[in-house]
Amino acid sequence: MSRVQVDRERCVGSGVCESLAPDVFEVDDDGLLIVHREEPGDDQLDDVRDAVQQCPVRALALEE
Amino acid sequence: MSVNTPVDPSQFDIEAIDLSDRDFWAEPPAVRHAVFDRLRAERPFAHFAEPEMPGMEGEPGPGYIAVTRHADLDAISSQPLVFCSGKGAVSIQDIPADLNEFYGSMISMDDPRHARIRRIVSKTFTPRMLEQVIDSVVGIVDDVLAEARRKAEAGDGSLDVVADIAAPIPLRIICDMMGVPEEDRAEVLAASNVILAGGDPELTDPVDPLGALINAGITLAGIMERLAAERLARPTDDLTTALVTTEVEGEKLSHQEIASFFILLLVAGNETTRNAISQGLLTLSENPDQRARWMADSSLDKTAVEEIVRYISPVTWMRRTATQDGEVNGHAFKEGDKFLLFYAAANRDPELFADPHVFDLTRNPNPHVGFGGHGPHFCLGAHLARRELAVTFRRLFEICPDLEITGEPARLRSSFVNGLKRLPARLTGER
Repeated sequence: MSRVQVDRERCVGSGVCESLAPDVFEVDDDGLLIVHREEPGDDQLDDVRDAVQQCPVRALALEE
Repeated sequence: MSVNTPVDPSQFDIEAIDLSDRDFWAEPPAVRHAVFDRLRAERPFAHFAEPEMPGMEGEPGPGYIAVTRHADLDAISSQPLVFCSGKGAVSIQDIPADLNEFYGSMISMDDPRHARIRRIVSKTFTPRMLEQVIDSVVGIVDDVLAEARRKAEAGDGSLDVVADIAAPIPLRIICDMMGVPEEDRAEVLAASNVILAGGDPELTDPVDPLGALINAGITLAGIMERLAAERLARPTDDLTTALVTTEVEGEKLSHQEIASFFILLLVAGNETTRNAISQGLLTLSENPDQRARWMADSSLDKTAVEEIVRYISPVTWMRRTATQDGEVNGHAFKEGDKFLLFYAAANRDPELFADPHVFDLTRNPNPHVGFGGHGPHFCLGAHLARRELAVTFRRLFEICPDLEITGEPARLRSSFVNGLKRLPARLTGER
């Protein structure tokens, strides 16, 4: 199972991940990232990989 | 000749290239890009003396290094501890610290302070929240286009793309989000123009640009003071309310922090999208096959918007300053060295982009740095800008399919913003 990891020190709540994988990521009212599915489904993995790669502060990782 | 006809880079004497020469920034984009091509290929860490700024006293600074390769730009951008923003990100000269923070706000701050301040508003700019404002974006765009059409048809069909279409759309959207009332908006636009005039004598006071800048800041701060008092008394759900009511680590933002944040959101919200719209239209008119293809196929909206941002690069550069000695991709640097990250150059780097000077609305992937490279300062408004651009062009194709560019644009003479002051057009009436 693949697992999403967030580096909270780095995250600035840019929402890039949310735009790419809205079912998995959401920036909350305080600008903090909520991960709705820490273990994304197979059909979400491509979007999550894009999010990991495009995160401007490289705060995301996907352990596969 | 189209202004985007490629210019042969080999015609320039590399020793004579000077990015600090104001006249260079009056050249058409094709000339700029030919020069960037030379620098990128031959002197990717070229050093330039600081441009003169009338009204600045004291010794000129040490100059700056122009970063033109995508890989170098991204390496610097993604190491904010080594290459900081707090010494100034939007000015080549070291301007006094209070002015720097006042006009740059969080753009010219480093983490952790930058991140704390950014989180106050970041939620408002996420895709999910923007979904909720989408109707108002469509409504505003339709209003502006209908008004432009009415105005053109009441006369001889001519209009100015900048004044009638590209300026009012982002102005109305960001002012709505901020809660700036109708009657203040003309003043907001004028002040925002002065702040990012980049020394263009038409938009600022050529003798005393620093004074004009300060006055424009005072104007915007005055509007903010009034609004802030109103929102404290009666909070709404706009961004100004968020700025005056949110606490950062148990403290409210200071008066000055609110004012500078307010100025940043207004200026950044206006000056970037406006130029992407006006120059996007200009570029489409120079590439009629691309325009026809996009008009007929809305599934291209996503890649087309990214390509406009890559190709135009509305913000030409941001500055970083080395906090220590070190080396980046083989270039040794010293603490205090200034780096200008030329997004416009990196976005035409042949290492990443096949046929970089070709405008290709289907380009995918498109890892451009038009919203900034990797790093904490990635454009806060990127999702909003994408939304504004996608809606604007789609509605333009529907409401003004007969729009025709009729003359040369008047370009802003600025190294910082790739801007148009005017772009003559007409509605032919042929649908």
